[in-house]
Amino acid sequence: MCERKDNKGSSRRDFLRMAAQGAGGMALVMVGGGHSLVSANAVSEGGSDRRGPMEYDPSKHRYLYVIDVDKCIGCGSCVRACERENQVPRHFFRTWIERYQVSRTGEVYVDSPNGGHDGFAPSETGADISKAFFVPKLCNHCDNTPCVQLCPVGASFVSPDGVVLVDDKRCIGCSYCVQGCPYGSRFIHPETHTASKCTLCYHRLVRGESTACVQNCPTGARQLGDSRSLGDKVAEIVATSKVHVLKPELHTEPKCFYVNSSREVR
Amino acid sequence: MEHTKHIWRAAFLLIAVLTFVIVGRHFLVPKSFGEAGYYRYDALFEHMDKEPRHGAPDACADCHDDIAAAKAGGKHAPVKCEVCHDVLASHVKDGEKVADMRINRSWELCAYCHQRLVGRPALVAQVDIREHLELSAGQAIPAEACVQCHDKDAIHHP
Ligand code: SF4
Ligand code: SF4
Repeated sequence: MCERKDNKGSSRRDFLRMAAQGAGGMALVMVGGGHSLVSANAVSEGGSDRRGPMEYDPSKHRYLYVIDVDKCIGCGSCVRACERENQVPRHFFRTWIERYQVSRTGEVYVDSPNGGHDGFAPSETGADISKAFFVPKLCNHCDNTPCVQLCPVGASFVSPDGVVLVDDKRCIGCSYCVQGCPYGSRFIHPETHTASKCTLCYHRLVRGESTACVQNCPTGARQLGDSRSLGDKVAEIVATSKVHVLKPELHTEPKCFYVNSSREVR
Repeated sequence: MEHTKHIWRAAFLLIAVLTFVIVGRHFLVPKSFGEAGYYRYDALFEHMDKEPRHGAPDACADCHDDIAAAKAGGKHAPVKCEVCHDVLASHVKDGEKVADMRINRSWELCAYCHQRLVGRPALVAQVDIREHLELSAGQAIPAEACVQCHDKDAIHHP
């Protein structure tokens, strides 16, 4: 999946380079805002002065995320870790836990009290529950993102390493993306009034750390992988096991993969 | 030539419009927009610049090697210190202690993982906390119920 994406990217770049060099090049460069087109391939080279303390090359990574439903105990450690790491406002969630309880007659009870932040109390459905499980949710960091396509000001974007991010200086808080995300991963931050969401702890990734939720999950239900890192164990899971994505019919091409999930999970 | 005037007018208009567009773009399109895609490339670096609040997985052992060693052999080994305490940034800054680490003694903390629940996989020990404490109906769970028996040594070691 990632391979195809890469090809698409480089052929577009080649086209841009050709166009910039060709007869119509000058006009294109003017319309495109000068430097932008010719340096479209400088993702990995340019801007080293902006790179801060760490040497990090986004083009060398491509993150993916694996959630093993059988391992989630619904403790909410991940939700609390995310809140602390990213100062997520109360009652808003970048990640949350849903509890699914399915009765023998097929009724599905789903609850997520305060996103699982305060844990779960014993269930009170009163039904004859024949299967139950906890499902961690977060932004799926889609390759084919509805949210980025919807943003009228270019404030939402996919980073070169595949993370869906919001430029909060540019966001006008119109909330198109909040409505457009089929997974409910976005919200308008009550203080900044801009769109907010899971950043896959981008500030941690660039320092070689794992995300707060993955690091603090006591059972290893959540795992972070990098498909551009040779021999990556999590990428291997995606490559070799039977994995699911949420709402595959929407062709959003999520980079969050679920193992041991069930059809009730949407 | 009486038409020169028209040509000059058109040329002038064209130049004016072009100048307007180019100057307007210069002010309206933010710096670094479009460098790597239809977004402000600098925003990526702003995300990078945020400071992590959780420490590295083994950061606590730098000072608390005794507890870390004990914990490594116990059942709570897979549970990172920060899960039950707080983020490293609340306790240490630039290698110096800035505040006491939070110690959460509430039964709720234990219940997050150990309350028996329908659907909770048997990966962790589970009890029904009310039953375990033999509470009668209507009796509230004492705030520090768990740590009264399972003290900090039991929690760090078992
Ligand atoms: S809320 Fe912000 S990021 Fe979302 S579509 Fe509107 S401007 Fe874009
Ligand atoms: S920390 Fe792990 S086990 Fe606990 S709720 Fe989150 S994903 Fe599930």
